Amino acid sequence: MELITRMIKNTQQKLEKGNGLPFLIWGYTTVLVSLLVWYLFSTSGNPAWNWLWFLIPAIGFPTMMWNLRKQEKGVKTYIDRIIGYVWLVFGIGGFVVSASSIFLWNFPILFVVILMMASGTAITGLIIKFKPIIISGFAGILLSFLCLIVKGYSSILIFALIFLVMMVIPGHILNFKGKKHV
Amino acid sequence: MFKQLDPLLHSELRLAIMSILISVEEADFVYLKEQTKSTSGNLSVQIDKLSEAGYIEVERGFAGKRTRTVCKITEVGIKAFEEYVESLKGYLNL
Repeated sequence: MELITRMIKNTQQKLEKGNGLPFLIWGYTTVLVSLLVWYLFSTSGNPAWNWLWFLIPAIGFPTMMWNLRKQEKGVKTYIDRIIGYVWLVFGIGGFVVSASSIFLWNFPILFVVILMMASGTAITGLIIKFKPIIISGFAGILLSFLCLIVKGYSSILIFALIFLVMMVIPGHILNFKGKKHV
Repeated sequence: MFKQLDPLLHSELRLAIMSILISVEEADFVYLKEQTKSTSGNLSVQIDKLSEAGYIEVERGFAGKRTRTVCKITEVGIKAFEEYVESLKGYLNL
């Protein structure tokens, strides 16, 4: 009985050694691409620079694949599978909504994308029971409304700032805590 | 009347492997070796025994250039493990 309990407990402890890299990959990519789009779009006024938004999946997906291969941890838990599904749904939803916004003018795409990604972040935080991610997810949901209030080029800067608060900072905290536990 | 304990699970290493696999989706050979603190040879033999009994599924593949053996508990394995724990509880008067 003691052996069974110890083995099961060991696997549960492994879950707590969370890894913030996916948050950092998507967070930094989004922040940097947003700043690039903001700079080029606001200085030239040419809306064609908006095509650069597609750099986010173009950079994010290969980096994530590389990270998954490198970080092979030898065990896949139920929590890993659930989080994978959460982000699969929000990722596909986010991509479809972003792609469709090209054809729909006056569509508050930045607001919708933040709302979706913040919801995914809050759900992930609740699943892994990690407060900074829970707080940043809900903060993202509230802050997303700023993208409805602020108009023009500045809304892109707000978008970048929210991603910094919602993904980059908690991603670093999660990484730091994960390293400390190992 | 005490129920008989499954002889296949009544071995320290095999029970440890099953205890890990019941709480995860899948685990590879290196992870099992680390957690059970066993030798590669012994672990390999016990994995084969559990696999032959249909308690676990073993998939041998590649991770980059290295070979990677991934183990997963089966429905039969889950049932056997649950029965084992129930029988054990009888012995311990739980």
